[in-house]
Amino acid sequence: MASLGEYLLLLTFVIAAYAVAASVAGARRRSTRLIESGIGAFYTVAALMTVASGVIIYAFVAGDYSIRYVQRYSDSVQPLFYKITSYWGGLDGSVMFWVFLLSIFGSVAVRVNRQRHRELIPYVVAVIATVEMFFLFLMIIHNNPFATYLTESPTDGRGLNPLLQNFYMAIHPPTMYLGFVGLTIPFAFGMAALFTGYLDDSWLRAVRRWTMFSWFFLSLGLTLGMLWAYEELGWGGYWGWDPVENAGMLPWFTATAFLHSVMVQERRGMLRVWNVSLVIITFLLTIVGTFLTRSGVVQSIHAFGEDPELARYFVAFMVSTTVFSFGWVIYRLPLLKARHELDSWASKEAAFLANNWVLLFSALFVLFATLFPTITEAINGERLTVGPPFFNRWMVPIGLILLLLTGVGPLLAWRKTTLTNLRDQFLWPVVSALVVAGTMLALGVRVWSSGLCFALSAFVMGTITQEMVRGANVRRGMTGTDILTAMIGLVGRNKRRYGGYIVHVGIVLMFLGFAGEGFSRDQQLLLKPGEEATVGGYTLHLDAIRVTDDGQKQMVTGHVTVKDASGAVIEQMRPAKWFFRKHEEEPTTEVAIRRSFAEDLYIVMPAFEIEEQTASVEVHINPLVNWVWFGFGILALGTGIALLPETAVTFAVARLPAEAVTASLLILSLLLSGGVARAQHVETGQDPRLQLTSPEAREISQKLACWCGGCSKLPVGQCSCGHCAIERAKIDVMLKEGKTEQQILDHYVTTYGGNQILSEPPNSGSGRVAWLMPIVVGGGGFLMAAFLALRWSRRPSLAGVPAGIEDPEMAARLDEELRNLD
Amino acid sequence: MSRTAAADDEPKGSSPHEPLLQPWQFFLLAGMLAATGTVIVATGQAPANIIILSLTVVAVSFVGLGAYRLLLPLVSAEADAPSLIGGRTRIALEREKALVLRSLKELEFDFAMGKMSQADFDEMSGRLRRRAVGLIRQLDAGGGYREAIEREVERRLSESGDQPLGLSGCECGTKNDPDAKFCKNCGARL
Repeated sequence: MASLGEYLLLLTFVIAAYAVAASVAGARRRSTRLIESGIGAFYTVAALMTVASGVIIYAFVAGDYSIRYVQRYSDSVQPLFYKITSYWGGLDGSVMFWVFLLSIFGSVAVRVNRQRHRELIPYVVAVIATVEMFFLFLMIIHNNPFATYLTESPTDGRGLNPLLQNFYMAIHPPTMYLGFVGLTIPFAFGMAALFTGYLDDSWLRAVRRWTMFSWFFLSLGLTLGMLWAYEELGWGGYWGWDPVENAGMLPWFTATAFLHSVMVQERRGMLRVWNVSLVIITFLLTIVGTFLTRSGVVQSIHAFGEDPELARYFVAFMVSTTVFSFGWVIYRLPLLKARHELDSWASKEAAFLANNWVLLFSALFVLFATLFPTITEAINGERLTVGPPFFNRWMVPIGLILLLLTGVGPLLAWRKTTLTNLRDQFLWPVVSALVVAGTMLALGVRVWSSGLCFALSAFVMGTITQEMVRGANVRRGMTGTDILTAMIGLVGRNKRRYGGYIVHVGIVLMFLGFAGEGFSRDQQLLLKPGEEATVGGYTLHLDAIRVTDDGQKQMVTGHVTVKDASGAVIEQMRPAKWFFRKHEEEPTTEVAIRRSFAEDLYIVMPAFEIEEQTASVEVHINPLVNWVWFGFGILALGTGIALLPETAVTFAVARLPAEAVTASLLILSLLLSGGVARAQHVETGQDPRLQLTSPEAREISQKLACWCGGCSKLPVGQCSCGHCAIERAKIDVMLKEGKTEQQILDHYVTTYGGNQILSEPPNSGSGRVAWLMPIVVGGGGFLMAAFLALRWSRRPSLAGVPAGIEDPEMAARLDEELRNLD
Repeated sequence: MSRTAAADDEPKGSSPHEPLLQPWQFFLLAGMLAATGTVIVATGQAPANIIILSLTVVAVSFVGLGAYRLLLPLVSAEADAPSLIGGRTRIALEREKALVLRSLKELEFDFAMGKMSQADFDEMSGRLRRRAVGLIRQLDAGGGYREAIEREVERRLSESGDQPLGLSGCECGTKNDPDAKFCKNCGARL
């Protein structure tokens, strides 16, 4: 079995190499036979990878523990589902799964575009097959999933990490991979366009759908990751700026930028260099993401462990790809020159320019901040921590700017919006924003970021509503139907535009959820059975702490009755700690969540004392958090509409519900999978003290990073591990001794021998670089974009057609053609 | 990959007579037979094992199909016709025209939604309309090189006094090569 798999990988490598050679030679000699043969080889790679996948899944299911990979990631008692998902549970298999997906995607993309983009196809095949070759090479040389034990083979496996035996963990990686792998296709087409020199926008049309599709899966993967973190990690939040989360976010930023700037090139023929570069950067960032996860360069809960050799291969691949692809961009610069004419600042083009810059800056900033600790350590040996507070400090304003642009962009016209008309366009959105802002102020909301976010959300919603209603009115005027039909017709006629608006609605809803975080409260309680405490309108009554055993694990469950303000019982909640057999030293924390659209009541029981019957209960109240998941559902719906084929106008209405239902069902099934979710979080075996932390100590502990390794360097004040509980208690003691905040922080810096214990890099020494970078790059980039825009707008517009009086015959013909366009 | 799509792709190399089985049908059938064989051999194993084994065997048949597609073009007797990329200019012009028309349409829509003043609209729509008219004219004049080259060849041939191409007309109106004995369209003797 193992050697069969190994031969298959070798054979695949050879065939992929042949595909590259045959396609390139065929394209150069204009030989259809060679090209056809190359395409055949390309399909063969997909078929071979399918067989290889079948072989490894069979090895997992049949329990062939002589294969190391199988032995390390599964055991005989594992359920069948997790045996199959173990395929991508480890490093070697995930690389193989990557190639498998890429070969399938590539084949479909080649098949679909074979006729329409005949001249690009051979190079597309060559590029994708080259990427496949790199990963196959990795497997053959370094990470062979079929490697066997040389001497005696074990009789049973070690089993998949219990943390990964979870529904989300089974589907989150493949969706991320789908997104990552899918982004290779636009890259391949972009490169093919560069090779052939056919740099008009035909290649864009070939890849637009693929980008949107991959973008969707990337968004889905990120959302699933957030859900998992929320339900599993037990610290009450969903995004911790972990290096690997960031790695998934990077291509998402640039892909989003590309989806927007594509429109500028399609409509205006501008930004050609930019679009090709964006596609290349996006691809590189997917490789960076893979690299970060697999090389151990950054410390992360996701990382597969350190592997310097693998890191070297990746660096070599990334450097050569960068040099090669940008070399081609430079070589083709003369062809990429386009008419640059910016009619006005108040135009969609200018808004897209701003949007692109902000998104690219986000990607750069996140990449920089993720790698910053590694860079400083490499340069002067100083290990710093860039924790969630630092990311939030910069990304919150950036997010708000993006939200603002989401609202502004649709209001502007292409080319030029007349200033007097601007007032008319902005009136209602601005009014709705002001109303919301006023209400916020009146209600006494003092969290500036959240308040601003609500106001901007109202602005965007105002924009979208106005666009829909006015558009429908115009259409009604043209077609003479009622407003509802007109609206459906509007969406059907321009699916990309209005699908995009619906995506924007989803984004707004997600932002509402993010803004809710500004109002989240958490409190630590120490309860004995029979005692109760009140937290934010909920009264929690601890009925009992019970110990049960189901043969597989021992479960310590807190039975909590939740009452509302009037004293009526609204929910029985069961936070718990589970001690799995063979994993007693790693108890898992079971989170209990009571979900509603207004807020979540989120209860964790990090510690208990059976003899004294005391439980430490962490209560988080997270307002609006469910809007994040719900917003994603809307986003999925919008993407579905935008992805509908151009010709599907007639059955747009018929097909729309199907798409909507699938997307919403998925989200709903995730949402409604029990009002009270069960979740796991493996913790270190330390015994946390059952002690309440004072609010002051919590405040200070927010500035320290947790190094337990089980979380993504969350602030000590947030992490629910035992280590952090102890540290919080220590800080409490120090406060009582009369130490100031600065003294306590200094104490930690000296104890840990460096600034890495602080969750933000200090604004001095090498840490200052981290603080300067966003300002320098952000400001510099903004100036550059402004300069370019200024230069383009100054250039006299090149109409290229001699001015003259339109002859009536031609005018009539033009009008006729315009009518037929609908 | 859709299998039906695979079918319409195959006949290129295969004989003009409809073969008994399309290649993909043959390979799929072979794969299924082999899978059946596997199931018989593997009796006694857990059902999940057997299912995965037989799926893998079917996948093997797709490898066969891939190899067939890889090799066929290399051995086919068909001439190695270079893939011509003619009419690209024309396509580009058409595309440009579609783009301008769509911009015009969008402009009208934006205007109708009150995003710009009459003056701005007139100015921009005038510019776009002129461009569109220019493109239509270019297309009418035969923007493609092919037509231009053919005209040029014809012109030069007639200038040099040689017999121009395709003079042997047929009653059906088809132009035939000068040395043709039968019409290539209707088959009538010339």
